[in-house]
Amino acid sequence: MSGKSNNVVKEIDTIKETNKPIICLHDVVVAYQSNVAIFDINLDIYRNEFVGICGPNGSGKSTLLKSIIGAVEPLKGSVKILGEEVSKSGNLHGLRKKFGYLPQMSDIDRNFPALVKDVVGMGLYSKIGLFRNLNKSDYEKIRQALEIVELEQYGDRPIGHLSGGQQQKVMIARGIVNNPDILFLDEPTSALDFKVARNIMNLIKKIHDETDLTIILVSHDIDFIKNNCSRALCMNRRIVWDGNPKDREFEQIVNNVFLK
Amino acid sequence: MKIFLRLRNVYHEANLGELEMGTILEFFQAFQYQYMQRAFISAIVIGVVCSIIGVFVLLRRLIFLGQAIAHSAFAGAALAILTGIDPILTIIGFSVVSAVGIGYVNQKKLMNNEVIIGIVFAFFMALAILFIGLHNEYSSDINSILFGNILLVNLADMILLIVFSVVILLLVFAIKKELFFMTFDSQQAQVSGVPVSILSYIFLIAVSLTISVSLKAIGAILVFAMIVTPAAAAYQWTFKINIMILLSTIFGVFSAIFGLFFSYILDLPSGSTIVILITAVFVISFLASPKRRSAKKDQLECPFCKDYLPGPCEECGGDCDLGIPHTHEEERIIISTKNLPEKEPTIHEHMEDVTQ
Repeated sequence: MSGKSNNVVKEIDTIKETNKPIICLHDVVVAYQSNVAIFDINLDIYRNEFVGICGPNGSGKSTLLKSIIGAVEPLKGSVKILGEEVSKSGNLHGLRKKFGYLPQMSDIDRNFPALVKDVVGMGLYSKIGLFRNLNKSDYEKIRQALEIVELEQYGDRPIGHLSGGQQQKVMIARGIVNNPDILFLDEPTSALDFKVARNIMNLIKKIHDETDLTIILVSHDIDFIKNNCSRALCMNRRIVWDGNPKDREFEQIVNNVFLK
Repeated sequence: MKIFLRLRNVYHEANLGELEMGTILEFFQAFQYQYMQRAFISAIVIGVVCSIIGVFVLLRRLIFLGQAIAHSAFAGAALAILTGIDPILTIIGFSVVSAVGIGYVNQKKLMNNEVIIGIVFAFFMALAILFIGLHNEYSSDINSILFGNILLVNLADMILLIVFSVVILLLVFAIKKELFFMTFDSQQAQVSGVPVSILSYIFLIAVSLTISVSLKAIGAILVFAMIVTPAAAAYQWTFKINIMILLSTIFGVFSAIFGLFFSYILDLPSGSTIVILITAVFVISFLASPKRRSAKKDQLECPFCKDYLPGPCEECGGDCDLGIPHTHEEERIIISTKNLPEKEPTIHEHMEDVTQ
């Protein structure tokens, strides 16, 4: 924690002046049955940050992400998003409309009856009510989202017919079609080979550069985090490093944590 | 054996054209009787409601859960015969309890889905046999619940069927999008604000109500075929969920009506005739499936890696810089043996998306 260089402190200070934190975790502890998964989590994330979270398996990266989006309830402490308490909020449903989320790759049945545009459209379901279907302007949004991920000509193809990398791009389109404030990515490229994974990561970087989206990325790709993220967290059941990934100390910490 | 003899008689009769016309006429004449009108309406309603709910049962992979629900409904019916209370109450009670119970275990991830379904299935079957055993005298009601008879549907049954079907269909169409999302990716649906756990209970209850009200007409053993088979047949034809729902309904209603027709003129058990017909529709759909055909036609063997992979080259329309006809799939380029170049082209590597 002491590893922040003066530069970073200055940078973060300027952001703090102009912005309130968009995500705010205070003294969070999460436990599964009697096992403490993460503890002592104090974290403020500001608008338009690109946060990369790394750490060894079982270090609580995904748990941290899940506690932010309200998928697991913390044992102790508070999680606030956009100023609203997540765990006690009855408004979690409303808050989630402001999230985009990209899970790990999953296998999709080749014959599953869904077209690419249908899958992207799922990202809009929380905004339209029961009984309603997507209308023309929704399809325009879907088209734009597919354009951003460079798959605009694939809208009418069955989702199962796309390659793994393309499917994951469709999921990114679904994550951003709702025009969210925060995009969560949980090891989005873990099942893909290196080259395709890079391709996807660069796309995420491009989306971050072109919009004011806040992105929180859990990834094992430390090189990518080092070169592209504006902020890095290294987890080992608590946050052992929080700062600029270009800092030399980050590499040492990562080496320490991973080799221990 | 009796059925075969009967079938043979019908076959002989059918050779004499007049008689065949006669039996068909008889079928239409039978519509003056109320039991026939009720049977016809029930067949259509069951065809619609079962096949629509079936689409989601199939896509959510709840097929054996449905089977377990059907058998617990049978236990409910057996209890009603034993105690003399209104069967529909116990049928709905038992099927909803088993559905929600399994759903709860499933949601809390207490154990593997198959384990709990297997246990519940066997337990309710045991209950049913127990109730039948306690009821000392043989009752034809048991037979009729196990195998169903659409011609015995009375007015109260029919009204109940229609009312419940309307409610179930309204419910399913209200949450159609969300169900579809959950089916596709339940975790992500939850994160995007879909109340996944409530909706899956609602869906399970809808499935058990559908089974409960269809029980009398189709029978506990066969009712599930009306849910799975039309949807499975529709699955063969389309990549669009709405068209799948529509096709499933058409198949379901078609086989319900014609099943009733054949069962009447050939004097066969109605439930089994309907199920045999819908199975035939499924077999035809499977054999003629455009999905399967296209997969077969495009399946070429990569001469280098010996992988079979489907899909024509949609990325480049068949001419990238490779210069020979080929297809793309995931990371590979596939070249038909007919177009095999003299030596391995350098572009043929196991690399990522070729278009990038």
